[in-house]
This record gives sequence, C-alpha cells and structure tokens, in this order.
Amino acid sequence: MFHWLEQRPFFFAVFVFVFVAFAGIIEIIPDFAKQSRPVVGTKPYSVLELTGRHVYIQDSCNACHSQLIRPFKSETDRYGMYSLSGEYAYDRPFLWGSKRTGPDLMRVGNYRTTDWHENHMLDPQSVVPGSIMPAYKHMFTNIADIETAYAEAYTVKTVFATPYDQDIDGDGEIDVPLGTLEEAKASALKEAQAIAADMKNQAVKDAVANGQVPEIVALIAYLNSLK
Amino acid sequence: MKSMVIGGIILIVALMAGTYFVAGDSLNFGEDYINDLTMLAGLAIISITVFVALKYVNQIKNDTASGDLAEENWDGIGEFKNPIPTGWGLAFIGVIVWGMWYMTVGYPTNGFSQIGQWNEETLEYNAKFESKWQNPDADTLTAMGESIFLVQCAPCHGVDAQGIGGKAQDLTQRLLKESVVYAIKNGASNFKTQYPAGMPPMMLTDEKEIDEVATYVAGGLKGEQPASFAVCAGCHGADGNGMEYVAPSLKTYTDSVITAVLDDGKKANIGTMPSFKGRLNETQYKALATYIRGLGE
Repeated sequence: MFHWLEQRPFFFAVFVFVFVAFAGIIEIIPDFAKQSRPVVGTKPYSVLELTGRHVYIQDSCNACHSQLIRPFKSETDRYGMYSLSGEYAYDRPFLWGSKRTGPDLMRVGNYRTTDWHENHMLDPQSVVPGSIMPAYKHMFTNIADIETAYAEAYTVKTVFATPYDQDIDGDGEIDVPLGTLEEAKASALKEAQAIAADMKNQAVKDAVANGQVPEIVALIAYLNSLK
Repeated sequence: MKSMVIGGIILIVALMAGTYFVAGDSLNFGEDYINDLTMLAGLAIISITVFVALKYVNQIKNDTASGDLAEENWDGIGEFKNPIPTGWGLAFIGVIVWGMWYMTVGYPTNGFSQIGQWNEETLEYNAKFESKWQNPDADTLTAMGESIFLVQCAPCHGVDAQGIGGKAQDLTQRLLKESVVYAIKNGASNFKTQYPAGMPPMMLTDEKEIDEVATYVAGGLKGEQPASFAVCAGCHGADGNGMEYVAPSLKTYTDSVITAVLDDGKKANIGTMPSFKGRLNETQYKALATYIRGLGE
C-alpha cells in the first residue's frame, strides 16, 4: 500500500516532517496561550525564598512531594484551589514532582506555619504520628547559600526578563526588589530575622543574629511563600 | 501437531486447577453469578490464548515465505511487496485523520473543560451536602466534626486534640494558664471578625493578681473567684461566658470562638495558626465547634 511512498525518499521525508511538525505545534502552541501567562498576583521569588527553593531541590523534597493540585474535588478539598499553569511562570524549573509519597505542597503556605515546619523538620513524627518522612536536622546547622540564589535571580532577571525590581501590580512600589548582591543579602537577612523570631531553636536564632541564614530558615521562607 | 494440542489442553486444565486451588475458597458456584462468570471468562481466555499460540507455533514451524519480490534490492537482499491488509491500511490512515481532528477540533480546544467538570462536580456536591445536612442533630455534627478534625486539625493539634506536647492549643480545655498570662500581658486581637474590639494589653499588672486570675480561668472558673477577676468580668461577664461582639467565653469553645479562630487564624503564646477561611463551610464550622466542645467532657 505504501510501497510507492517508500520508493520516493524526498516525499517520504516531507511527509515525516509534516507529521512531526504537527505534533510539535500541538505541544508548543499552549505555551503562548493566555492561560500560560503569569497569573495576576504571581510574583518572582525573593532571594531568601529562592535560597529555600535550592534547599528544597538539594534535599530532593520534590521526589516525594508534588506541587500540582489537579482539578478534582477530592484534591481541592485537601490541598486548596487547583493549580493554574500561569502560577508556574517564575518556577525554573517547575517542581511538579512525579509522585506523591507525601502530600502536595503547592499551597502549603496557606495551612502550615513557621513553627509547624520547625517542629516537623526536626522530628516529623512529633507532629504527624506515623509519618514516614525522615528528619532534616542538618538544615538547622547548615548555612544556606544566598549568593547562588542571587546569581540565579540575577540571571533570570537579565536573560528571561523576570520582573525583579519592577512594579508588577501597578501600586507604584517595587514588588520584589533584587538590587546589588549586598542589597539582596541585606533584605534576605531581614526576611530571615522575621522568620527566626517565630522559631524556638536557639542555634538558629543565634546564627541569624550573627548575620547567617541557616537552611531551615530559607526553606521555611520558601514553603510559606507557596500559596 | 496432535501432541501439541494434547499438551495445550493439559496446560488449560492445569491453569484452571491452579486457579481453583488458589482462589477456590472464595468461590461459591451457583450462589454468586459474578464469580461463575469470572471463572467462565478465565476458562475462555486461557483456551483462546493457548489455541492462538498453538496456531502461530505451528505456522512458524511449517510456513514458507511466499509472494512477489520487489524489483529493487540492496546487495542482493530483496523485499517482498506483499500489500498490507486493506482494512489495516485504512485504519492507519483513519487514525491519523482522527488524531488531527481530535487535537484541533475535538478535545481539548472544544467541548470539554477540566475546570468546567470541576465546577459541575463541586456545585453538585455542595447542593447535595446542603440538602443532606440541612438540620443535623448533635450526634451527626460530632461525627462530622471528628472527621474534619482528623483531616484538618490533627496535623497540629494531634489526634487526641491535646496539642502534641505543647506545639498547639490543647483543645480538651478552653485555656491554658500560660495562654491566659500571655493574653493579659500582651492583649489579644485574635478574634477580630467576631469580637472586633480585641483585648487591650496589661489589664492587670500585679504578677500575683495575674497568677491568681490565670489559675482561676485555666481551672475552668471553678472555686472561689479572685477579686481581681472583676477586671475581666467587665467584658467576659462575671460567669466568664463572654458577651456577643465584645468578648469570647472563657469557659467553653462557643461557635463564635471557633468561627473567629478558623476565619482569622491566630497568633499567641504557642505559635501561629493559619486561617481556614474558604476551606470549610458553615455546617462544617458548626460541626467542628460541636466536636471540640465535646472533647473536654
């Protein structure tokens, strides 16, 4: 039936190209749709939140926790409003996750707080009986790498025009300041102080008072920003 | 060939016998027709599989290639030009056409919306919820409250509602002594939606009086009332039952206290509780309040 086509390499190549291109178009077009633009109110991560995101990736939180609430009532009841593609506009890379050993964390900032995360990371079973999550005690002593987070923020600002240092919502104020490395470090430390004030761990409080940011503080900043 | 057929039949019998050996206990022939049908289908599947396999084994053994060779060949290696079955070819082209139609005109650009489906599902569920729980009695509310509590509250307050060793509020009693001390010293503005005025800080300054009042309130307002409680009674009432829109009850978790905490969240001496606004409906609030009230008894 297709013998005539197999004898004509040029046309065969043209047909293959058309079919592959069609599949490509179907995949690419949605990226340009209105729904893929940043949702109103979506803001880039602050440097401290981005640092926490690096901790999240570094410790493979996304191996067990997804960040994608599907539009099913059973999911929205438990995790909150279903996810929209525009909400991931500033996620590089997105952390949808491939399976749920633990619960979804897309909107964990709405229903968990700093002190809960502190207890949970130190000893998960103390707040969730029967939890199989391991403890992440090293986060309380390891110091987070703010400079790398700044480098990433600066890169996405320059290369992808991510709106740092811009007035996104039109209220006349800069929404997510980035500035120079020194300014970014100072504002990250300020955010970290606010979080450490809600925490009980003395070592963490001391570190923040000394101008250092333990990983746990950055991670909590990130988790609290997930809304 | 004959020996293969006999072998096949032996295999079928062996597989069926194996199934019966493993699952025989749960089979009640003649009583549950679903089980009978399942066994019958199993027999059919095994028989068809064995005989189709036999047919192809036989074909591999005995068939020789047939058909016309194509004119072109590559280093002496030729190719048959047997046409593919017409039906298969038409189906192949049909699938390509259907695929293009499906991706551009059919799903997902037209006709179906996941979000629309979610909206319908939610509206339908809410309507059903409202009609089913129009006038729930106390037992229903307690049961509903317990299941909500286990999902939404237990991660912080613990399955036994005692606050997991001081990590969150102990809901088996209205107020802890430390909480009363904290509120007296720092004031309270946790219940803004229900009690807009809030409570000013430093209503009492004397440490001894604070301790007296805190012990009295944390003890459930039993025993002799300390004289300094008069300051509290101005808003919370002499019996500590509170006043609508002015001050919450110090004795029990009333509906308005629960509503306020769930709506506003809370930040006091233990830690921060997030707001649950929009996550629960009115009936569920009431159910939670009923359940939590029942905890201390």
